Amino acid sequence: MELVDRYLYAVKFWLPRKQKDDIVAELSEDLRSQIEERESELGHKLSDAEVEPILKRCGSPLAVAGRYLPQQSLIGPALFPIYSVIIRSLFFYFLLPWLLLWIGIAVFSPDFRADHPGAALLASLEPWWLACTYSLFFNTLAFALLDRSHARSHLVNNWNPRALPAPRDHNRISRSATIFQLTVVVATLALLVQVDAFHRVFHFFGLTVALSHQWPYFIWAMTVLNGAEIAICCLNLSQPRWTRLSASLRLGLNVYSSGLIYLLCRSNLLQSLSGNDLPSSEAATLVDSINSWVAGSVIWVLVIGAIVLLIDVRRLLRVGRAA
Amino acid sequence: MSPNTETNSDDRYENLRQELRRGSLPLAVLAALRTEHYGYTLRKTLADHGMAIDEGTLYPLLRRLEAQGLLVSQWREEGKRNKRFYRLSADGKSILKQLLTEWKSIHASLEDIF
Repeated sequence: MELVDRYLYAVKFWLPRKQKDDIVAELSEDLRSQIEERESELGHKLSDAEVEPILKRCGSPLAVAGRYLPQQSLIGPALFPIYSVIIRSLFFYFLLPWLLLWIGIAVFSPDFRADHPGAALLASLEPWWLACTYSLFFNTLAFALLDRSHARSHLVNNWNPRALPAPRDHNRISRSATIFQLTVVVATLALLVQVDAFHRVFHFFGLTVALSHQWPYFIWAMTVLNGAEIAICCLNLSQPRWTRLSASLRLGLNVYSSGLIYLLCRSNLLQSLSGNDLPSSEAATLVDSINSWVAGSVIWVLVIGAIVLLIDVRRLLRVGRAA
Repeated sequence: MSPNTETNSDDRYENLRQELRRGSLPLAVLAALRTEHYGYTLRKTLADHGMAIDEGTLYPLLRRLEAQGLLVSQWREEGKRNKRFYRLSADGKSILKQLLTEWKSIHASLEDIF
């Protein structure tokens, strides 16, 4: 009977203190009755190997004890969906972009890697880990407390069908947003024409700004971009719903514009600055500073571009599924 | 039908079957306890009537029903061992009567639907 005693001892460990002895006595009686019946069938005392299947059939000690305990959860089913949405939003809209930005900086910025050699690179991620831990801990704690308070029943039971939000049509393209976008694009084109942007040399506030010889190509590329934007805006106005065509065009155009901005940042666009009150040595330093600042901000272009492209791909997949 | 689909279908049937039986267990236990039983003989009685139930399910259910005042229990020595005997309480008899009426009504409704 040593196996039975070990089994009962293991079950007893997990049981509520007040009921331990009572439950174990009853379970023990049942098991011994089963063993006695089997022994009378076989005509001999059961060996450990023969007792084992009886105990196995009864279930693991933890599972058996668990059935005597009240069903417990840290956050109940009434509040868990809200908790889940908040945790997912925190991750996708805050923690994940932060992590991607850190990866981008760690990969593309030699200065950052030089400032954080070896293990210090991982240590620079400490604020992110802390943000993860704190946000998970405090959200869980807040919801666990809310689940045990009277506020839960107020939150769950006080609702009004009229106050529920209208169903959102993810594939609808807002006309006002399209008109706003169209206005911005036309204004940009008008500005390019107004300042005669195809030239490389500009004069303002007593300063002469000379841009690199690549500048006119960028302006041509931007003009093409704006023309395509106008075409897409017109398409969206005539058919204000995302289709495979419009979603693919939007994705293609965003890839194009992200690439253009990336090249613009990396091209040392500012060639020279000159002015009556600006010594040439200072002007050269200023040109270098501006060009390196612009080149340094390429990481933001990559991060924002990646987020925009993810949104575009997601939209394209959604439209494909709906078609 | 692929073997995988067959397994899924078996699993779904088994889950639904267990769910159906789980809902009927309290009624079966209350009905069986119109006569006094201790746990092991109660299990055997239920099994003999086609309602096999494992000890891990039966004993917690007996405790719940007793906590609700539907059963009364008593530890007594029988066959040189202490056993806990259960029987219906007065409240249990009244609830069992109502549940049996409800069960017959459900059965009639289902027959009607089928």
